[in-house]
Amino acid sequence: MKKYSNLFQLSFFLTPALVIIIVFYLLPLVLTVYMSFTPIRNWNTERYLSQFIGSYNYYRIYHMVKYDPIFRQVMINTIIFVLITLIVNVFGGLLISLATYFINEKSSSTLRLVWLLPRMSPIAVYSLVWYYFFHGSEIGTLNSLLLKLGIIDKPIVLGQGVIPWGPWSIIVFINGLVGVSFGMIVFSSALSHIPRELVIAARVDGATNWSISRKILIPMIRWHILYVFTWQLLSLITSYAHTFLLIEWGLVNRDYGTTLSLYVFLTAFGRGEQDQGLAAAAATILAIIGTVLGFLTLKILKFERMIAKPRGDI
Amino acid sequence: MVTVRLENVTKRFGKVVAVDNANLEIKDKEFMALLGPSGSGKSTLLYLIAGIYKPTQGRIYFDDMDVTELPPKERNIGLVFQNWALYPHMKVFDNIAFPLELKKESKEEIKKKVTEVAKMLKIDHLLERYPYQLSGGQQQRVAIARALVKEPGVLLLDEPLSNLDALLRMNVRAELKRLQKELGITAIYVTHDQAEALAMADKIAVIREGEILQVGTPDDVYAKPWCKFVGGFLGNPPMNFVESTVIRESGELLIGESRIPAPPKYAELLKKFDVSKVLLGFRPHDAEVIELKPNMPDPPMLVGEVFAAEPLGRETIVTVVLDDETYVKVFASKEQKFDVRDKVGIVLDLEKALLFDKKTELVLERAFEKKEFS
Repeated sequence: MKKYSNLFQLSFFLTPALVIIIVFYLLPLVLTVYMSFTPIRNWNTERYLSQFIGSYNYYRIYHMVKYDPIFRQVMINTIIFVLITLIVNVFGGLLISLATYFINEKSSSTLRLVWLLPRMSPIAVYSLVWYYFFHGSEIGTLNSLLLKLGIIDKPIVLGQGVIPWGPWSIIVFINGLVGVSFGMIVFSSALSHIPRELVIAARVDGATNWSISRKILIPMIRWHILYVFTWQLLSLITSYAHTFLLIEWGLVNRDYGTTLSLYVFLTAFGRGEQDQGLAAAAATILAIIGTVLGFLTLKILKFERMIAKPRGDI
Repeated sequence: MVTVRLENVTKRFGKVVAVDNANLEIKDKEFMALLGPSGSGKSTLLYLIAGIYKPTQGRIYFDDMDVTELPPKERNIGLVFQNWALYPHMKVFDNIAFPLELKKESKEEIKKKVTEVAKMLKIDHLLERYPYQLSGGQQQRVAIARALVKEPGVLLLDEPLSNLDALLRMNVRAELKRLQKELGITAIYVTHDQAEALAMADKIAVIREGEILQVGTPDDVYAKPWCKFVGGFLGNPPMNFVESTVIRESGELLIGESRIPAPPKYAELLKKFDVSKVLLGFRPHDAEVIELKPNMPDPPMLVGEVFAAEPLGRETIVTVVLDDETYVKVFASKEQKFDVRDKVGIVLDLEKALLFDKKTELVLERAFEKKEFS
């Protein structure tokens, strides 16, 4: 009887979450995997959904990896985009939170609020701001500034002309700016929980801000850094919204701006012929890569130690 | 090594005055306790000496050098915190070595100095452990070792014993006092525990609401408090205070129905100045509880009723309610037995009793000196 009532309690609390996970995550995942084994295109489900073509779509991707220069570029874009943006996000967040830690409370919260603006503004608005900033003509803020300062004679078409670092730097910059605020919030809150005496003690012993940061603050928030690192890695692999808009608006070159997640989106929902079967196969591969990478980072960075029971009070 | 001198030091945080015009001298090799209740500004005073805060007004000198504007690291001080502030991610060795590493001393030199100070504090077998693997007492020694390793001119301690349990605190108290004397280092010790201050310090500065009320040796501060607050803050149980009316003609004090002679040292003063209400102060040890027997001539005493008797083993604390509803505590020998509601008399050692002005709460001679009395 007791066991039964426990089960009831358990299901009572778990059901809402389980329903959400099943409906919005597990079912789509199963559908995606299934679709990747069909030749479905242009959403013609009646004709294609019951046709089973085995691993043909996966073979196509293998073939593209080997011979298709556009798809190979997508992979290079993804690696470059994820790695650099990840570094920008984690170190940027760390830098801002450390910098604001050492200045007074009032100005530091203002500063942090400013850094939250990108996250608070709608994706389209935020992207539009930077669209005009990086625009490849005199109307672009950056170009007009450089022209006025006399550094350049004619506008630079950064996103289309300077290949490949032009489009790369734009997408890294724009996604990095949004991502920084996440690390900043997590790190700032972690830093504020470090007993003030530790910093005072170090200061009395003659430590500079730099050595206090390096030897005390950063080691003490290393779990938070690991958490932000893992979280940002996984979300960068799957994020494409800003990049999609900038490519659609013609600011960023399509070939050098498209990452794997955007490729999946464009293949399934883009203009022209839509190839959902191929997109599903790529999405499945993306999901596997994400799972493996997430698992690896947690393993390498010893996540289990973080969730282990504490060994005495610190 | 270093004499510390504060001249008219004031520290304000916004409108709050944390330290109010403090003048204090801590002599070379002296152990000074800054004693006060929480929020009295004693820690602020310590942080001013450390250089963590800058005074709003006034100067601070180490020997003849004005250090008011110097940052903490240039003052050559060792600081020990209440929570010890050990770096949790560093082993004990690295914790102690940290100040030396910042000074960029050589590896061999660091190793030598750390081992030396660890041996002195008997923690040399713990060097490879992390702080969380140590007991409270051991962590405290590490904190002291870290403060001492750079051979500071002044050792500053901010309630370093409050996080220890009572028994351990007694032991560490003795060890710390011994260590300070052996090293011959100037030490400034912040505490709210009067027993700690009395036991350890060469001198005590009693602080209330940012103001230094009295500075003196433990004996002085204990036996001759300058004001009611100091008398009431030191001693356990603290000094008793009884409101009394002065009868000028006879030089007696009237307390409820009881009449006792005024303490002899005040006889002159009471004649000279016109005060009517005073507070009679006496320590629980400076009085005797006697049973009231009929047909016995009463010595001059306070009369009351036993409220409670608490045997402490060696002696008994008797709480007596006087007929004017004042409670006083007096030590009695353990042979004396008291029951609740027993009528008793309290005979004071008048040589040791003190009189305080009722309004200013200053001890009477100081109140007259300052011409502040009711």
